[in-house]
Amino acid sequence: MMPLLYFATALAALAQQPAKLFPYDYAQRDLANGLRVIVVPTDFPNVVALQIVVQTGSRNEIEPGKSGFAHLFEHVMFRGTKNITPEQYEGFLKKMGAASNASTWDDRTNYHTTFSREDLELTLRIEADRFQNLSFPEDVFRTETLAVLGEYNKSAAEPGEKLIETLYDTAFDRHTYKHTTIGFLKDIEDMPNQYEYSRTFFERWYRPEFTTLILVGDVKANESLALVEKYWAGWKSGAYKAPAIPVEPAHAAPRTAHVDWPSQTLPWLAVAFHGAAYADDKPDSAALDLIAHLGFSPNSELYNKLVIADQTVDRLDVDAFDHADPHLFTVMARVKRQADVPAVRARILAAFESFTETLVPAGKLEAVKNHLRYRFALSLNDSESIAHSLMHYISLRRTPETINRLFDRYGALTAEDVRNAARRYFTANERVVVTLSGKP
Amino acid sequence: MRWALILLATCAGATEIVERPGKSPLITIRAVFRTGAASDPAGQEGVANLTASMLAQGGSRQTQYKQILDAMFPMATEVEYQVDKEMTAFLGETHADNLETFYGLFRQMLLDPGWHAGDLARLKDQSVNFLRTSLRGNNDEELGKEVLYNGIYMGHPYGHHNQGRVAAIEKLTAGDLKRFYQRHYTQANLTIAIAGGYPKGFADRLRKDFAVLPQGSATLLKLAAPKMRAGRHLTLVEKDTRSVAISFGFPIRVKRGDADYLPLMLAASWLGQHRNSGVRLYDRIREVRGLNYGDYAYIEYFPRGMFLMEPEPNLARRQQIFQVWIRPVVPETAHFTLRLAFFELERLHRQGLSQEEFEQTRNFLSKYVNLLIKTKRAESGYAIDSRFYGIGEFNAYVKSGLAAMTRDDVNRAVSKHLSMENVQVVMIAHDAARLRKAIVEEAVSPMKYNAPKPQDVLEEDKTVERYPLRIRSSAIVKAATLFE
Repeated sequence: MMPLLYFATALAALAQQPAKLFPYDYAQRDLANGLRVIVVPTDFPNVVALQIVVQTGSRNEIEPGKSGFAHLFEHVMFRGTKNITPEQYEGFLKKMGAASNASTWDDRTNYHTTFSREDLELTLRIEADRFQNLSFPEDVFRTETLAVLGEYNKSAAEPGEKLIETLYDTAFDRHTYKHTTIGFLKDIEDMPNQYEYSRTFFERWYRPEFTTLILVGDVKANESLALVEKYWAGWKSGAYKAPAIPVEPAHAAPRTAHVDWPSQTLPWLAVAFHGAAYADDKPDSAALDLIAHLGFSPNSELYNKLVIADQTVDRLDVDAFDHADPHLFTVMARVKRQADVPAVRARILAAFESFTETLVPAGKLEAVKNHLRYRFALSLNDSESIAHSLMHYISLRRTPETINRLFDRYGALTAEDVRNAARRYFTANERVVVTLSGKP
Repeated sequence: MRWALILLATCAGATEIVERPGKSPLITIRAVFRTGAASDPAGQEGVANLTASMLAQGGSRQTQYKQILDAMFPMATEVEYQVDKEMTAFLGETHADNLETFYGLFRQMLLDPGWHAGDLARLKDQSVNFLRTSLRGNNDEELGKEVLYNGIYMGHPYGHHNQGRVAAIEKLTAGDLKRFYQRHYTQANLTIAIAGGYPKGFADRLRKDFAVLPQGSATLLKLAAPKMRAGRHLTLVEKDTRSVAISFGFPIRVKRGDADYLPLMLAASWLGQHRNSGVRLYDRIREVRGLNYGDYAYIEYFPRGMFLMEPEPNLARRQQIFQVWIRPVVPETAHFTLRLAFFELERLHRQGLSQEEFEQTRNFLSKYVNLLIKTKRAESGYAIDSRFYGIGEFNAYVKSGLAAMTRDDVNRAVSKHLSMENVQVVMIAHDAARLRKAIVEEAVSPMKYNAPKPQDVLEEDKTVERYPLRIRSSAIVKAATLFE
């Protein structure tokens, strides 16, 4: 177990020295079946966070008509096994007072349970059971697909969702990032008829070689590894060779789209460029991260101009989230008056362009590097948060070391690296602009 | 009645500091003033919120907002704020490396606000756009909940949204804000919690620094009981939307610290613990029938539930409602789902919990409470709330209360407080007139499923499809008229 002193030392004067950004000692082991286990003992008492990352997300939905399946499966995984009924499973969670849920994203599906340390063995046992022995009858499957439709419906009043849906659909022709994680509505509506396919999906992806198990909190590494071995070593690896995800070709011209929103809302504008895949061994994605914070965060000149000084925009968001394959670098603005949309668009494009022309001043470069380091350090404020931060990187590289490599990469970035990345990615043909307007 | 009219004695007092030291290099500072939207003067609804936002998202006298953002950026921190009816909270989290710089800004922002005209214009827009667009336009679920609260508390200090009313916000001046600040941002109204790895002597420093605020006196606002409308009333909010969001509820005379609070908390947890599966409403509505994404029950105000897995602290109130949140259903099943929820509630009221259900929920809560307070951020907030309610540490309060509780305590509390006689229902719907007609005329609402159902479910449906809702009055309001 990592001594507390180590934690304090590692984070002290975070800004000055290139300390390891992920300060915890951890144990990592690969079982013979391919399951990877990472155990991170922390000093936060009593609580343990378990996260089980499966390397499938909406990115892997390459077959037409099957968008949204990774997410649907997240739901189905709560529907019982040969040994434990859903009611019994819920009964265990209630007995433990555990918080349990799951989430799906473009590149992964994550199952997370947070519980008291005395329930470690029970949790590992019931989770191992459902990953190995899931069994769901067709009527239950059909009912669960309606809960997915309910999930789509609960977000349907939010124009931001439609804006994103349209943006991805417009930006991608071949890559599966064309659809959002929840999937195309027509595919969701057809899900009740896809029982057979759902079993195929489980057989393919819910396999140890695609899975990493993360335990963080009031645990001992050896004890935890032995328990994982006990319940998870019998899980059989699979034979599925995941086909290559179609590569998005270079585009020949910029693209635009417009959404007419049926009710009252303020206009939205999304300006995006095709970006870089996550990498900890080359500068591009790290450089784009820096640009996201420098160019479009509340501290940026653009925010100052649009939100604080001119007050033509009341929300300015940037999304350059890490992805396994190249995704979009997106800036979204909620504009107060429809008439201002063209001017706001021009301002945002000018902000992008400035990074291709001007070198970022040294002081700003230093500030954004500090920002990223402190931001990460502040996110490690309890075992569940640590597990969640880890999960994100594990889903991309399957090792916590990628965090340290990434932050070393950030630290080494020069103003030229930033400009080079901007020049490579912020090009006219790779631009996508989507607008949305509601009824007045 | 004890709680119907409270006018508390005034007592001059200095700022209270609550300490929760820890070994982590992360430090939380939480300053909570005992004032909020319930103290908005008539015609100035929104002044409490705008005052707080000017402190947290505006410049101080010596530093412009842009400069504050620039200074905060390398530290990756900010000052968050939250305004509720009786509490206004400011929260900052920083790494120990940056405590001096961060605290310098925090102090300046709270104690020496700039009241700059540019900030005021921006933040007024932000409030108005929140009410008109983010809430009314884009979030049917939160809209349903807030319309429910406004309806129940009509004519009461709780009777408007925490961000105010559009017409009132637009008229607010810097002078109005300054007056509110001077009157309510006093030492007597302030509690500060600090948590994490702060240095020795930090509490004394805070006490000294915040002594520049007027001393003030801890005067509690007069709060009459909300007027209970007899019977069941339906409000339909009409807007162009895909599905139907549903909320219903009624005032309860129980708050944290009262004898029936924990028994009711247990009952609500069994019925619909927030964002948990395996609870009654979720099971009957979503799991068995696939009608929506989730169904939950509350005995305390819990805003932004669609974005949060756990409640935010510092929403303490002297008056609460019981509330059920039915996530959006397709229009064809809206009537049936409402019936099903009422059917479940009436059964709970009539039968209470079985011994097994009681024990299972008690076990759950005894451990789940640990998860609510797993961060210093939460711990600092709960500590302040516990002072508001006059209870000890929340964790111990819940655990010891649950240990001593019997099933009879729960069922007695359910029987006393959860009668479905007087209920307000809010539904957000596209075709409001059609839905109203069906509900008011008690039309049969048969269910059709996409898969075979067990016989007991089909039998139950025969009862539910004709289950009388007994709506006494109903109204359709246009979404565009709300919060104006």
